[in-house]
Amino acid sequence: MFAYVVRRLLQLIPTFFGATLLAFLVIQLAPGDFVTRLELDPTQDRESIANLRQQLGLDQPLPVQYAKWLSGILQGYLGLSLSYKTDVWNVIGQRILNSMVLVVLATLMIYLIAIPIGVYSAIRKYTWPDRTFTVLAFLGLAIPNFFFGLIMLFLAVWLNDLTNMRILPIGGMTTEFIHLGNLTRTAQILFPFALLGTLVFAGLFWQRSRRGQAATFGIWVGLVLFGMSALLMLWPLLQGPGLPERLPYSDSPLWARATNVLWHAFPVVIVVGTSGLAGLMRVMRGQMLDVLSQDYIRTARAKGLNERVVIYKHALRNAVIPFIAGIGGLLPGLIGGAGLVEVTMAWPGITPALLEAISAIDIYVIMGLITITTVLLMIGNVVSDLLLAWVDPRIRYS
Amino acid sequence: MKKLLILGMLALAGLALAQPKVFKGTEPGRAGGAYRITAISDPRTWNPFVARETSSTDIISLFLPTLTGYSPYTQAPEGNLAKSWEVRNNGLTVIFRLREGARWSDGQAIDADDVIFSATVHADQRVNSNSRSSFILDGQPIRWTKVDQFTVRADFPKPYAPALIQGWYIAPEHIFGPAYRAGVQQLQALWNLDTPPAQVVSGGPFKLDSYVKGERVVLVRNPNYWGVDDRNNPVAYLERYTVQVVPDLNAQLARFLAGEADTFAAANADQVAQVLERIRGNRLRAEIFPNADVTLGTNFIVFNWNHKDPFKESLFRQVKFRRAMAHLMDKKSMIEVALGGLGQPQWSPISIPNKAFFTDDVVKYEFSPQKAAQLLAELGFRSKNRDGWLVNAQGKVLEFNLVTNQGNNVRERIAQIFRDEARKIGVKVEYRPIDFNELVRQLTSPAADGTREFDAILIGLTGGIEPAFSRNVWELNGSLHMWNLGTGGKNPAKVEAFEVLIDTLMKRGATTLDQAQRRQIYVQFQKVVAENLPIIYTVAPAYNPARLTRLGGMFPKEQINSITGQAPYIETVFAKE
Repeated sequence: MFAYVVRRLLQLIPTFFGATLLAFLVIQLAPGDFVTRLELDPTQDRESIANLRQQLGLDQPLPVQYAKWLSGILQGYLGLSLSYKTDVWNVIGQRILNSMVLVVLATLMIYLIAIPIGVYSAIRKYTWPDRTFTVLAFLGLAIPNFFFGLIMLFLAVWLNDLTNMRILPIGGMTTEFIHLGNLTRTAQILFPFALLGTLVFAGLFWQRSRRGQAATFGIWVGLVLFGMSALLMLWPLLQGPGLPERLPYSDSPLWARATNVLWHAFPVVIVVGTSGLAGLMRVMRGQMLDVLSQDYIRTARAKGLNERVVIYKHALRNAVIPFIAGIGGLLPGLIGGAGLVEVTMAWPGITPALLEAISAIDIYVIMGLITITTVLLMIGNVVSDLLLAWVDPRIRYS
Repeated sequence: MKKLLILGMLALAGLALAQPKVFKGTEPGRAGGAYRITAISDPRTWNPFVARETSSTDIISLFLPTLTGYSPYTQAPEGNLAKSWEVRNNGLTVIFRLREGARWSDGQAIDADDVIFSATVHADQRVNSNSRSSFILDGQPIRWTKVDQFTVRADFPKPYAPALIQGWYIAPEHIFGPAYRAGVQQLQALWNLDTPPAQVVSGGPFKLDSYVKGERVVLVRNPNYWGVDDRNNPVAYLERYTVQVVPDLNAQLARFLAGEADTFAAANADQVAQVLERIRGNRLRAEIFPNADVTLGTNFIVFNWNHKDPFKESLFRQVKFRRAMAHLMDKKSMIEVALGGLGQPQWSPISIPNKAFFTDDVVKYEFSPQKAAQLLAELGFRSKNRDGWLVNAQGKVLEFNLVTNQGNNVRERIAQIFRDEARKIGVKVEYRPIDFNELVRQLTSPAADGTREFDAILIGLTGGIEPAFSRNVWELNGSLHMWNLGTGGKNPAKVEAFEVLIDTLMKRGATTLDQAQRRQIYVQFQKVVAENLPIIYTVAPAYNPARLTRLGGMFPKEQINSITGQAPYIETVFAKE
């Protein structure tokens, strides 16, 4: 096993050079460079255009440019952004973190919803709820995310109009000013409900455990959701009344900033989540159906086992193996951003920055992002393989 | 009595010391309030010597001063940091006097040292500032010297009409000077986006307050600003100026519709309709002015006179051919289909909003397929072949490729309309959208023998208010003399008579100081271009500004123009509520 891991890690080195060289060549093969767009500016002379090319090193032969970039990378320096005139990491670092908020939340949402629905659909296949989920899944797959994002924006405008309140944000990740007063009052109204919910689910939990039964999935979800909400609302309850009605975002306390970001993320995560949700739901259903028709399930049922145990212990554990193997693949996805939704909903993630860099041919920003993604993809693949060996005793590397 | 006299003298001395610029707004305003706009992309830098794109300069212009600019009312030169000027030596020398008492936001005086330093750095070849062309006239430098603390002098190698327009940004010497002396790279590293906003010193109406990448730039009023309104109250009125970064046009519209942005420029009829619907439904207190003006940008077709195929080269050089092509432009349909009904036809190179020089009195080759067919027949294309294409006596088919840049919907539709009309009379036009950079390469990079490969390109240039600044397009050796491009900065090998005339007119226009004479020259220039069509203009998109009614100090409808925008000065815009 150890030899296997070492071998895999060594293989990463040539892969890395090959991938970055290929990316570099492809970017350079595209016509034009960073300076090309200035050539159509009537106020620019030939001389200053040529000067700029020389200054940015764009007139040097390709191998020299690649070698320079590579020597920087080996020292952990991603290069200089041509348009921002600063370290590439300064350009993309914050953006990647912003995107991660979306990607992490969306991934959580996808897994938490898709797996139960998939299981449910498989157990009750061809019933009305299953058909409804199927139709919704295909709708979710069919609507392009960026378009759904626009619909969401106009839905937000419409909803805000209807209620004359700011229920949903109109794009963006933060607001310029946070209305701490509103937050505090909302928390004061909602806190009793959250507390009540927590108590009810805690009661259910306690009741079941006293009877020696494990808590159901629904009880867990309810307990976590209500409990977390109640906990989060403690801050505005305790601190809120002493704060001014309205503060600029950067001067607000952490809990207010976090709430603000989560509020903005809510519609975007729904948009990003739906398509992934739809796909995963169908895969989970297929997997589950596959496993449920296996001989050992029939044997388990024949032994007279509780249907619960058959499904959750014997079927589900085998059905989720491919998902666990896929976890490694999520790693580069964390960096890759949520796609065009970020543009349409004005989320300051990595996608708008990447698109800008591509259209301006800001080569080192593009290369920097490709490098990070490549490394994470390679690490993710190794992690996936190892995880697979861990969960599935049939797979052994030697 | 004596005390009073001294007090009076002190007051007078105070007046003499402070020499603020008086900003005349459209209505009396009041201090306070916020102004929120949207921008399509993030700024790239706060450094005026590095900035190249409007996303940066639009913000820099709020905190760095220029010597002079255009009056928003008359479009004549108007002093900014320069309070007055004096033209000497038949226009070869201009002496600018600065406003005494003007200060940077950190308290230092803005004086001749800052101006001369900024001019030196902008002109430095190693820095390669975007404003460098303002310091070179036909290859010779314009020399800037300090006369005294508040007077600077510019010496021009020849008389220069736009000499009074000095729109480059003046940066604080006490901050940029030490870095510049340490090296160009140190200078370029200053004031990047990671610089704490408090360190970015302002000499303009606003100063940087905060910047959140990908989200917003916030500026606040600069209390040290050198401007007042016509009742001697300090400006800017606005306390806060926020630029929200919204990279999608539809999302920008949504922000405006939600009342979260104060201004918006509708790109097409659909967006205009959405704003109107909301205003009429009483859900948005705003105004919109569809078709208030047209934008400065142009869209045109240019043919390649340096074609490697001699048949095509001689065809494209025939004025009759180009007139025939002009006759094939259904500008009405282009406005209806490509611009959604909002726009105007364009016939000559100077943009319609540029009232000082624009003339409508030029030859117009209006849409007429019959006239086009007749002109082509005169060129020998009388019969059609079996496929229905026009051929000449030698059996050569009249065909060419037309390309435009991918992704520009307006240009793509204009090109399609032109192709369809041309094909109807038997001109075989093949239309294809290509990558923008590839298009620029085909247009501006001739092969070693001076030939270029494209047939026809539909492209646009951003227009400006000063025709002399487009000399790279119209002078024979210009880098954007795109129909007939010379190699290595020289004139093209084969030149038509009218091109020489255009070259002469442009040179005369740039060196004539008398405004009436200048207008005459540029009117003639427009006529020559419209008649000979080296560039065939299509249609200009409309400027459809909208704004919330909470804003005051804005232009009434008839004064809105695409050059100045919706308000004469940002300094005199205010919030009514």
